[in-house]
Amino acid sequence: MGLAFKIETPVETRSAEVVSYRDALLTTMRGALEDDPNAILLGQGVDDHKGIFGSTIGLAAAFGKDRVMDTPLAEEGLTGIAVGAALGGLYPIQTHIRADFALLAMNQIVNLAAKYRYMFGGRFEVPMMIRMIVGRSWGQGAQHSQSLQSLFAHIPGLVVIMPATSESILSSYPALIRNHRGPVLSLEHRLLYDIGFRVDTTAGAARTPPMGSRKLRSGKDVTVVATSIMVLEALRSAEYLAEIGAADVELIDLHCVSHPDTELILDSVARTGRLLVADTSWQAYGVGAEMCRLVCERDPGLLKAPVRTLGMAPAPCPTAKSLEDLYYPNLRRLTDEVLRLATGRDQHGVPLPDDASATDVYKRFKGPF
Amino acid sequence: MKRPDIDLATQLLYETLRIRLVELRLIQLYPSDRIQSPVHLSIGQEAVATGACAALRPGDLVFGSYRSHAFYLAKGGDLRQMMAELYGKATGCCGGKAGSMHLAAPDVGFMGSSAIVASTIPHAVGAALAARRRHTDQIVLAVFGDGATEEGVYHESLNFAALHQLPVLFLCENNGLAVHSRISVRQSYDLLEHADAYGIPTRRCMRGNDPRAVHETVSAAAVRVRAERRPMLLVIDTYRQMEHVGIGEDHHVGYRAAAEAEPWRRSDPLVTETELVARFTPEILREIDDAVAFAEESPWPGADALLADVA
Repeated sequence: MGLAFKIETPVETRSAEVVSYRDALLTTMRGALEDDPNAILLGQGVDDHKGIFGSTIGLAAAFGKDRVMDTPLAEEGLTGIAVGAALGGLYPIQTHIRADFALLAMNQIVNLAAKYRYMFGGRFEVPMMIRMIVGRSWGQGAQHSQSLQSLFAHIPGLVVIMPATSESILSSYPALIRNHRGPVLSLEHRLLYDIGFRVDTTAGAARTPPMGSRKLRSGKDVTVVATSIMVLEALRSAEYLAEIGAADVELIDLHCVSHPDTELILDSVARTGRLLVADTSWQAYGVGAEMCRLVCERDPGLLKAPVRTLGMAPAPCPTAKSLEDLYYPNLRRLTDEVLRLATGRDQHGVPLPDDASATDVYKRFKGPF
Repeated sequence: MKRPDIDLATQLLYETLRIRLVELRLIQLYPSDRIQSPVHLSIGQEAVATGACAALRPGDLVFGSYRSHAFYLAKGGDLRQMMAELYGKATGCCGGKAGSMHLAAPDVGFMGSSAIVASTIPHAVGAALAARRRHTDQIVLAVFGDGATEEGVYHESLNFAALHQLPVLFLCENNGLAVHSRISVRQSYDLLEHADAYGIPTRRCMRGNDPRAVHETVSAAAVRVRAERRPMLLVIDTYRQMEHVGIGEDHHVGYRAAAEAEPWRRSDPLVTETELVARFTPEILREIDDAVAFAEESPWPGADALLADVA
């Protein structure tokens, strides 16, 4: 790995080594504007005092409101404008403060941006990025909480990433913005914004590839493939299980949902024979299903036990905290799933960690967002 | 193609005739099934394209719809490559992946066409934003039908272009039909008054089958958009002579009367200017023969193209 990865309390005075998810985003947004005079940010409130939860704060003052543009409430139109701007030689970065709003732009994302290059035989390129933030906790409810990676990753022509750490942002955003000549969709997680991560910030530090997946922990008993905030839950679980000596988990951060590192995953499953997929979204036709396809098409004989998957309950997200805590898979359930796989028994008898909900652990904000 | 040997008015009629003859050839070819692509013919509407594109500079950009044969050719798209594209051949303007509904010729500023109604209108606005940011003197032409103005993104595009004063020329080809639905059952608004509410200046041209009249209207607007760097909207009234998609006439099926077509046909310069039509037809037919032969002889795209240019 070479890159330390640890959940840290965000430090008030910035250290060279602990970078919050928010600051990683702000750094990459500033970098994009500095590197390319044709890069622009487009989004509702992108220039205001909150600056997309701090990820664009101060940029309008530094680069001007014609490059950091507040926009009308017109998601489809703005994605279309971004496509046209990309065709005209700009690099647009569009933001949605909740991923749910991107559904209003599905026509432009799916019918146009994803197809502009292929449909015209390679005559055009639409280099652009759409950032969308997945909400969770504090009553986000049915329409501010959806995690739509499977919808997007289903469509050829889109690169879909889900950065789980500051390192993921720092390693993927600048490289994709600079080098990828098509639409990139990034699903950021709101609860991660306040988390500090250890990052090697020295210039020229080794970075993992912008696409593909990342092995965050080696282990011999169970392979856990996780996305977004579930990567952190899986890491907490793995550390707990290692501490009590109950199971040795290999953890893979899927990261690029559209173009995962298939060999990394299959190699891991071939060694452990046991796979748990922990995703932030619904299971049906989702990331877990796709991982099962990869394994089963390669060789179902790799598996020593049936695959297990975790996701949101198959319902719209409820607002009440009592229901919300049941709705999302938590550390306790994730650890239980790992242990069932590792021991081959549903009644494994191993004590589970405290049932603190992820939102209590990660949440540092009190709303309204 | 530019003809230095003839004056502008003649040139406009020549271009219009060329497009008409190309599409009449498509009608002849279609039953052979060699063109396996839905065609939305421009017959009756060609003059909108020729008049408008002649009012633009080569570096100006045009974004079109699925009914774009005329605009592709009028902006300078290559006829051989268009024919090959309709045949699905590797030599087509998009390597056979586009067909009739997605013609493109970026080398001459024809920036693509989409089968989703109204979907390229915001692209024109975005390209105009890029032109402003990059300090070019380009203007961008957004071409769409009257039906497209009912889509929400049309409103979003007008608003953004007017708000940011972008050099976009919105051009509505008003044939009064969305497939078979008349404008009276679709729109509660007047197209010009609607644009006026955004502070976008408007003009109407009621002789959309005469490329000289269209050219006069679009030229004046293009000069203004280029100089003032702000949007304008033009409504060009025209008439779709053929069915929505396909090669047939459909005045007998009941949604419109044959009599509606008559005034347009009687005033069609390609009908009235018999001498000019007779003069240019033979050479255009030779050019079309050449393009058809090119398409027929060209190879199909190979398996290597299937997964090329995906992401």
